[in-house]
Amino acid sequence: MLLLQNLSNALILACTYILMAAGLTMVYGVLKVLHIAHASVYTVGAFVGVLVFSWLGNFWLALAIAMLVSGIFGVLIYRSTYFYLLNAPRTVPLIASVGMFVMFTDLLQKPFLMGAYQRAFPAGGAGLSAIKTALFSFTAKQVLILLVTLILLVLVYIILTRTKLGLSWQAASMDREMASAVGINLNRSIAANFFLGSALAGAAGVLVGVYNNSVFATMGDLPSYKAFIIIVLGGMGSLPGAILASLILAIVENFLVASVGYVLPRDSIAFLVLILMLMFRPNGLLGRE
Amino acid sequence: MLTVENLHVRYGQIEVLHGVSLQVGESEVVAVLGANGAGKSTLIKTLIGWLKPVQGECKLNHEPLDPLPAWERVKRGLAIVPESGRLFRDLSVEDNLRLGAYLHRDEDIRKRMEVVFNLFPALAERKKQIAKTLSGGEQQMLAIGRAMMSNPRLLLIDEVSMGLMPILVKRVFKVIEELPQHGVSVLLVEQNAFEALKIVHRAYVLENGHIVLEGKPQELTDNPLVKAAYLGG
Ligand SMILES: Nc1ncnc2c1ncn2[C@@H]1O[C@H](COP(=O)(O)OP(=O)(O)OP(=O)(O)O)[C@@H](O)[C@H]1O
Ligand SMILES: [Mg+2]
Repeated sequence: MLLLQNLSNALILACTYILMAAGLTMVYGVLKVLHIAHASVYTVGAFVGVLVFSWLGNFWLALAIAMLVSGIFGVLIYRSTYFYLLNAPRTVPLIASVGMFVMFTDLLQKPFLMGAYQRAFPAGGAGLSAIKTALFSFTAKQVLILLVTLILLVLVYIILTRTKLGLSWQAASMDREMASAVGINLNRSIAANFFLGSALAGAAGVLVGVYNNSVFATMGDLPSYKAFIIIVLGGMGSLPGAILASLILAIVENFLVASVGYVLPRDSIAFLVLILMLMFRPNGLLGRE
Repeated sequence: MLTVENLHVRYGQIEVLHGVSLQVGESEVVAVLGANGAGKSTLIKTLIGWLKPVQGECKLNHEPLDPLPAWERVKRGLAIVPESGRLFRDLSVEDNLRLGAYLHRDEDIRKRMEVVFNLFPALAERKKQIAKTLSGGEQQMLAIGRAMMSNPRLLLIDEVSMGLMPILVKRVFKVIEELPQHGVSVLLVEQNAFEALKIVHRAYVLENGHIVLEGKPQELTDNPLVKAAYLGG
């Protein structure tokens, strides 16, 4: 019973990891850049979400607008920075990415933006109801997270596997030059990739904000390195790998916290998992080659 | 259809093409012959838009190509079979072909795919196979098939005969020979001068980044220099 309840809690945690890591994985696939500033997009998503929610009081509208703004923010990051570094050695965009992340976090803390305090995001379960069974239960908030994640993942899956756009991302991830020589407009294709990936990060920000009923400027710090661990664990650029890694990490975190108690801070567990993993499977769970 | 004027191309500081000029006419098959390192692939890469010339001009149907990125050139009717194929390695044969016709509608794609499968039945049997697991020859067929998928006006081919068995070389060259009947022009660079000269309308000889000879196949095969260098005496 406790086991199952722990598993269902882990599943919720995994959902937020998945949304965050999916976008990062998509970007990594196409650009081969570790896009640290992705975590800023997550924070911006939460911020926009909480603002819209406080104006209009409608969670779904807040989520939609937050995703839209996050998507646009992601595209702007690409067009203003990575776009100019496409042919530079890969450390260059990486450093640019770290720089942007630090800058955005500082900027967001300014009083005219988010300030240095926490905002409540009292959207509750957005009208959904809790699920209770004999074995496990989900609160309304957890149902909300599950539902949104599931819908978004199905959407991403369809785009990746059933559309030309998805095919163009796969082609670009294997050989960008050749992709352009079959007629793919790389600028548009990569921008669309950033848009979708960033919208997912924005959704993750909103969901976590609602779940913890709290949104603040530095909320992206933790996800910034956790998402990394997940894509390294998952095998750099493999979406199924990222999903699997999210689940594993969430389960391990939940169970270790539940059983070992607080011997280790929860967030150090993620790194332990990473180190162990790299010792035994240096290419990640589902990495290629 | 294609005119290249005084093309200079560099890698960093090293100039590899020193003022190359050539033409490909409407429905014409033209070869550029040359030894290893002559600059053949450099020429093809410049024409598709992967390399920027430092000087000179390329025009397709009187429109300058140089400002256009590769994908815009494809839109205007160019297609490439690059050196060593450059397949999308982790994708299936079908997906590689589908990508070849990226700018086309789905109905066209199905039709074009049939054409390619007729040409290379070996590919038809392996629709779902991942490109990197194909044999070298099959990969080359797929690279050619992918380029044909876009129904190009001008096909750029870098060493089509590489890695193919003689019978397939013959078949591929036969296909190329017939392309002009479908309104397709071809620029192919080749080391296999013997087979190439049988099917082309005209050929150029490229040496160290200079065009040193131009002529009809007959004139070139009769030329003692060509005989010595490319036709084995
Ligand atoms: N990326 C590069 N950087 C520097 N030099 C290059 C580069 N690519 C090619 N070269 C040089 O340019 C010259 C022409 O190369 P290119 O690939 O065009 O030759 P090629 O005629 O296609 O030869 P092959 O028949 O062997 O394919 C060679 O001397 C080569 O070393
Ligand atoms: Mg070459």
